[in-house]
Amino acid sequence: MMFDRPARRKYFSHGMTILTGLSIVAIMVPLAAVVYQCVVLGGSVFNLDLFIKGLPYPCTPRQGVTCQQGGLAVPIVGTLELIALAALYSVPIGIGAAIFAVEYAGERASARIIGMVADVLAGVPSIVAGAFVYALIIIYDPTIVFSTFSGSIALSVLMVPIVTRTCEEALRTVPNSVREAALALGISRWKTTLRIVLVSALPGIVTGVLLAVARAAGEAAPLLLTLGDGCAHPLQGVTQEGCALPLWIFYGATSPYQNWINLAWGAALLLLLLILVLSIASRLTLDRMARRMRGE
Amino acid sequence: MSRDPLADTGAPRGYDLQVRDLKHRAVQLGEWAFTMVHDGWRAYDTGDFTAAQTVLDRDATLDRFDEDMEHATTAFLVLRQPAAIDLRTAVALLKITTHLDRIGRLGFDMARTTSSPPVPELSDIRNLLQRMDDAVEPMVRQALDALAHDQVDTARELFARDDAVDRMHREVSQLIVATLEKQPKQARRLASDLLVARHFERIADNACKVSEKTIYALTGQRRSEYLPRHATAPYALESPWGSPTKRK
Amino acid sequence: MELSTETPKMEVQNLTAYYGESAAIQNINLTFPERRATAIIGPSGCGKSTLIRCLNRLHETAPKARVEGSVFLDGEDLYGIDATAVRRRVGMVFQKPNPFATMSIYNNVSAPLRFNGRPSREEMDAAVLRSLQQSALWDEVKDRVDAAATSLSGGQQQRLCIARALAANPEVLLMDEPCSALDPIATAKIEELIAQLKNNYTVVIVTHNMQQAARVADYTAFLYLGKLVEFGPTEQLFERPQEKLTESYITGRFG
Repeated sequence: MMFDRPARRKYFSHGMTILTGLSIVAIMVPLAAVVYQCVVLGGSVFNLDLFIKGLPYPCTPRQGVTCQQGGLAVPIVGTLELIALAALYSVPIGIGAAIFAVEYAGERASARIIGMVADVLAGVPSIVAGAFVYALIIIYDPTIVFSTFSGSIALSVLMVPIVTRTCEEALRTVPNSVREAALALGISRWKTTLRIVLVSALPGIVTGVLLAVARAAGEAAPLLLTLGDGCAHPLQGVTQEGCALPLWIFYGATSPYQNWINLAWGAALLLLLLILVLSIASRLTLDRMARRMRGE
Repeated sequence: MSRDPLADTGAPRGYDLQVRDLKHRAVQLGEWAFTMVHDGWRAYDTGDFTAAQTVLDRDATLDRFDEDMEHATTAFLVLRQPAAIDLRTAVALLKITTHLDRIGRLGFDMARTTSSPPVPELSDIRNLLQRMDDAVEPMVRQALDALAHDQVDTARELFARDDAVDRMHREVSQLIVATLEKQPKQARRLASDLLVARHFERIADNACKVSEKTIYALTGQRRSEYLPRHATAPYALESPWGSPTKRK
Repeated sequence: MELSTETPKMEVQNLTAYYGESAAIQNINLTFPERRATAIIGPSGCGKSTLIRCLNRLHETAPKARVEGSVFLDGEDLYGIDATAVRRRVGMVFQKPNPFATMSIYNNVSAPLRFNGRPSREEMDAAVLRSLQQSALWDEVKDRVDAAATSLSGGQQQRLCIARALAANPEVLLMDEPCSALDPIATAKIEELIAQLKNNYTVVIVTHNMQQAARVADYTAFLYLGKLVEFGPTEQLFERPQEKLTESYITGRFG
């Protein structure tokens, strides 16, 4: 009989293998499609100018008019500034919260509460984060509501939960024997935490920071309400309106000007590459640091 | 732990069986040695060569018992690494074996000294020797019983009896020396009697040693903790009415 | 040796230690003589580890842990001074070797100096050399002190942990079942080591291996269900124990 027991099992097993293989393909297809799209449409502007020139005058090529390609120097610098500032606030806060949760609260309720808060915060829609920061700063000082500073605070709201959670995980994987060994040598609690436990957990922490940065680099919604539009000329101080790559993609893509649209695709490709590089970097760092620490 | 660790758990474990086996072997050796003493004296006293030969033939078995005992105890020590009472028992049994072996050998020596049947002129010496036998054989028996049945008090009782044997030994030795001067023709027989008297004294002494070790195994006490040392002097210096100059 | 003639280095009085509501050890009274090795034996769960962790105040770092009673070091109440200071005078080696995995051999051994002060290079070199020699590891690692600590074998790592503990210059060295994770040869090396360490340090060793206690310790304490049953010179405890419970345990007739 074709469908007796052993044969059935074999067919079932083969069937499952095929199904799971198809799932992998199903996952890869959208990624490949996006990448392909960006490469095809943004590749034309990918040259040195992209990185060093400022934005071009908006124009659409037609009879007798050639448009300048221009470059994304301003949005790129803007994004870098934003990330740097956001990291400046969020990394210490995140690490601090994680240290408190793991080292000092331990098994108590406060540790779990911190974790829960981080999870909830991670789920806050990014536009809401932007709206919150807008509302906060407008009360405080309306003149800086649209600024790089504002934008960086909005981004840090998104980064903090990621840093906290990954840092907490990393600290929890440090075995208790390390802490006990240090305490037994007469090393004080805080020195144990900062100089030994934290150092032990460094691969995980660095990964967490890189992941948070990758997230922040690609967010446009929180910047909608906080960044303003200062892309036309090189950036001034942090209290002035700023510029960021993801936000500019929005401006550029929705504009009627062909050269801006082209640049927007270039920016999309650039962002994609940036996220890709950060993801790979974080994975490699984790691997390499962990291996070095294990003494291989 | 829900169970009382001191409660008796019923069936003895392999460990306990091994300890019991060791003790059983020692008692077996002791019984064998006892028969050598009992029959050795009979043979000497009656001048019976056949009986004497029987005793002499038991020597090989005595040696074998001794060796087996040593082997079994060493194996127990290395394999079980005992502590406390088990350790003391193993160590005590090793020494007890030596003393029981000596007791057997002394019976062997008595048998070997067998020559002629007793002579009526020396009957008072012979009676004294018989009295020594009547005192010493029960001592060996008692030491073996205390060992076999873990009886500390029975063991302790032996030391007093040893004093009596010492007195008898002194008495018969002096009598033999006096008789030697008066009846030099009986010198050979008298010399043997002197030896036999000494053998009895030694047997009693070894029986006491067995008790000593039995007490050590059971309680951990060493002799100096329960027996005061008396001053001793050579027999010749002792006063006639027996001063307290026991060697023990 | 008579206990009364030995100087007590550490003394425990009426010590009771709790995890939450349950007492792991109750009313322990014990002295640890100076420059001798004292072993603490007993069945699993009898409180040996809890007791030793009270001696360097590591017990209180556990959640819901509480201590009643006193521990004295040279007559000074250890629960009246700063815990970190206590741990510098009373060092500890744990059951599973726990060198700092992110550090080299040199950095591991010099860790107590580096983290508790600003030692010069010469001071650290001298301390590392001394400690590694004292823990019989120097010859095996002298040409690779900068190698990762994790590149050592289990037995070597444990000796590294001992060296690290010694580098802090403690007065007392606590050892919580230091050989249970090691093979017999490594165990023998460490037992040899303890015999040497006794000359300079007071050693307290928790062990579930009675033969080890017999080999290594001058004095032995027997704990059962959180209470001290008997304490005395090792030879006496093993040859002629005074308590029936002790005899029952050491002759393997428990339960």
